[in-house]
Amino acid sequence: MRGRPAWRRLDHAQPVLAGILCALGVMTVFSANADWVRQVLWVVLGAAAYVAASAFDYRRLRAIAPGLYLAMLLMLVAVRLVGRSALGARRWLSVAGFPLEPSEISKLILVVVLAAYLGRQERLSWRAFGGALALLVPPAVLILSQPDLGTTIVFVALLLGMLFLGGARPAQLLSLVATGAVALPLLPHLLHGYQRRRLEIFFDPNQDPLGAGYNLLQARIAVGAGGFFGQGWLHGLQGQLGFVPERATDFVFAIFAEEFGLLGSLVLLAIFGMLLIRLLRSAAVAPDRFGELLAGGVFVMVLVQVVQNVGMNVGVLPIAGIPLPLISYGGSATITTLAALGVVQSVVLRRRTVVHREDSSPALGTITRRAQA
Amino acid sequence: MRLVAAASVGVLAIGVLAIKLAELQVRDGVQLAGLARANSVHRVVLDADRGIIYDRHGTPLVENSPAWSLVVVPAALPADASARTTELAELARITGVDEPKLADQLLAADAYAGMTVASGLTQAQELALQERLPQLAGATIQQRSTRTYVDPLVFGHVVGYVGPIDGADAKKLHGLGYQPNESIGKVGVEAGLESILRGKDGWADEEVDAQGQVVKTLAVQPPVPGESVYLSLDASLQRATARSLAAGLARDHKTAGASVVIDPRTGEVLAMVSLPGYDTNLFTHGISQADYNRLLTDPDRPLLNRAIAGQYAPGSTFKMVTATAALQEGKITPQTLLNCPPYINVGGWVYHNWASYSLGLMNVAKALATSCDTFFYQVAAMVGDVTLAKYARAFGFGQAKSIEMPGVMPGLVPDRIWKQLQCGVPDLNSDSCRWTEGDTITFGIGQSYLLTTPLNQAVYVAALANGGQVLKPTLVHEVRDAAGRIVETQHPVVTSIVPASPQTIQAVREGMREEINRPYNMNYWFRAAGVPADGGGKTGTAQWGGSGLDLPTHAWFVFFAPYASPDIAMSIFVERGELSEVEAAPIGVDIMKFYRANQAAVRAP
Repeated sequence: MRGRPAWRRLDHAQPVLAGILCALGVMTVFSANADWVRQVLWVVLGAAAYVAASAFDYRRLRAIAPGLYLAMLLMLVAVRLVGRSALGARRWLSVAGFPLEPSEISKLILVVVLAAYLGRQERLSWRAFGGALALLVPPAVLILSQPDLGTTIVFVALLLGMLFLGGARPAQLLSLVATGAVALPLLPHLLHGYQRRRLEIFFDPNQDPLGAGYNLLQARIAVGAGGFFGQGWLHGLQGQLGFVPERATDFVFAIFAEEFGLLGSLVLLAIFGMLLIRLLRSAAVAPDRFGELLAGGVFVMVLVQVVQNVGMNVGVLPIAGIPLPLISYGGSATITTLAALGVVQSVVLRRRTVVHREDSSPALGTITRRAQA
Repeated sequence: MRLVAAASVGVLAIGVLAIKLAELQVRDGVQLAGLARANSVHRVVLDADRGIIYDRHGTPLVENSPAWSLVVVPAALPADASARTTELAELARITGVDEPKLADQLLAADAYAGMTVASGLTQAQELALQERLPQLAGATIQQRSTRTYVDPLVFGHVVGYVGPIDGADAKKLHGLGYQPNESIGKVGVEAGLESILRGKDGWADEEVDAQGQVVKTLAVQPPVPGESVYLSLDASLQRATARSLAAGLARDHKTAGASVVIDPRTGEVLAMVSLPGYDTNLFTHGISQADYNRLLTDPDRPLLNRAIAGQYAPGSTFKMVTATAALQEGKITPQTLLNCPPYINVGGWVYHNWASYSLGLMNVAKALATSCDTFFYQVAAMVGDVTLAKYARAFGFGQAKSIEMPGVMPGLVPDRIWKQLQCGVPDLNSDSCRWTEGDTITFGIGQSYLLTTPLNQAVYVAALANGGQVLKPTLVHEVRDAAGRIVETQHPVVTSIVPASPQTIQAVREGMREEINRPYNMNYWFRAAGVPADGGGKTGTAQWGGSGLDLPTHAWFVFFAPYASPDIAMSIFVERGELSEVEAAPIGVDIMKFYRANQAAVRAP
């Protein structure tokens, strides 16, 4: 065995940060009066998925990526056909009695699929670029028709982010942005009534403070009411009285912010920030392009969800149902996020290290990037 | 290179969020925290409909009718002090409530919850308010149901009334879930069956904004309407009883009286009237001081339900107890003959009969029929006061009957110990503390210190009618829930059995039959009314107000019919009645006339 033993090659900070987030998540879910016991169960199952994903050699994912892609499409079709509805959307499959949300799992699968696809390309030709787009279209259409605007946004962000990390040329990215700019005016016609309404309300929540704008206003009030130090755990007026809607899932951050204040919110954002940096560093030390893109994809996946979720809670982004990773109540999301972190850990574990001196510190600077076998 | 760019994007995005958070939580925090507080939940009580009170056949004796109240949300009143004062003055002017009191009430109330400041508004007041409402911030008109009593002068003493909770009781009742502005049963069945009639208020948790406007209903517990009570009364018999009693009183220039008609087989009260009555509808929204004073100072005491709470000496109607005691204790037999002199001498005192001449030798039945006092003086002396008291209690004297309304009085069965206790320091040499022979013999004719109520008398005569069972009187036939399902049915309850043989009861009943069949006396009323004198009765003219010969009297008549298997028993009481055969008995006969003519309808299931 070359290099140091496996446990010393691990990224230790990453699971610690994830653990802190999970603990804060359970606390907030408890405060939001949701089923915190189940959330603990999800975290435990997620931890198992994390360990399994870390142990599993990520390079073997490349071979099964086409299979995963097909499985994802099958799940999304199945949810269209036999899925359970909630709040007007068909998003859940019942698997052995447990509700399974395929759109959550598909986020990770898309990362793997895009990483596998883009990792093969040395330089991204226009043809390969088109291929990447073509890969995205079927799942995106299926998810948008659920309807699930939030996951669609994550998909688009993943595509853009991974294309960028995968070496897309500026012209290619610009063409995407340009297409988007042209398509944007068409967007209202593609959206479901309530999604369009959400957008309109976002631009002027006061036009309907008791109806569609209610969620947005109440969440903002809750965040604001937290002040600098917060109302204290379990003491948030807005959250405890049930004013904040979807308070354990989409608006869990509002509960957190009301109870822990600006101080707590900044600490939470800092933890996310550190986790995101660990993910980028993992990308930097990845032994191959596939691993780098995997870690980069998970980075994009976490970043876009944090930004979108917190953004809508503080009212800078429109409402789209996206969970705050590891904080929001939900099994599929929690387990998927932890599994994704496990995949990144697997990448870190299998990096090649060159040890210059026995006593040298294991700083990242001593690690050769993409060492040749 | 690209990774560094990605990191920059991440840092930038999170930085923007952090700035936005700081802006929201620190810059706008104070204002938004205020919004969070103003954005409050208030529990609004949803009134449960009160159960209806019907007669036994489903004739409603009270209705729930809509009434308008003025409700004010204190927080929504104008913030400006002078505008606020102007508005309160206007509200006070329209509704007629005291303005400083209104201001104090509103200060003490929950700022966001609606507070009822005036209820039972007249149509004119309601219209005036409705018109001005757009200018009156924080004021709303609320519909609430109120009780309207049918024929309160006839049914009022039984049905009673609801009224606003007294300030003194508010705290205690709050623990039972009553709102301060709620109504509660005060008198009669309304009070006695409060827990059945009331139902269970529901609530709604409403989110109210700073303007007092309901933003959203968060949770609702619907109210459970109260159960309806079907009284044992028959409305037509009750009206006939009231009519007969009122006519009888008027004929003899009397102003007060009472009557209780009971089924001697079940104890169900078929009619219960106390005159004068009063308008119970005056009380539902809180009676005016002037009206209340008028009722309180009326010498005829209309607020007193004489049927259950008027305590009077039973006089000669008590003689059946004395007779039962003497027969059962073996002091006399039905055939024993005793003289009926105009007076007897006991312990140096002279005790008179009602007749100033001798009625000759007679047995107990004849003594009852002629109501010979001197016969019963002798018998009472043989029986003794202790045994007399025992039999009186066995017939239910001296016990507050448990019936479905508050305020029932027990009457009084005196004995030696009771009399001694009347003196602060027992002094056995004083006649006012020591039980005397005279006390015993006057006890035997229903005087002495004995007191009873028309209800007790009805239960007593019913026991003679049914062969000695003292029944628990009841005003309730059945209870139904809001859907009309029967939830409770009345079953007869025997509270005690008179310790007397059938022969004893039979001998006493025989005397009662003779009494109403005496020619040129009681029998006249039956013949005049065309009612068969088939039954048993006893009149009584009881002295009250001390001792002496020309004391004021009350007139009684107790009666049951038919003789063989009685289905009706009654007591008639005429306050200050002078001659029971002339004043009280005809009222009973009149009621019987109606009953016999309408028996099928009264008795219909």
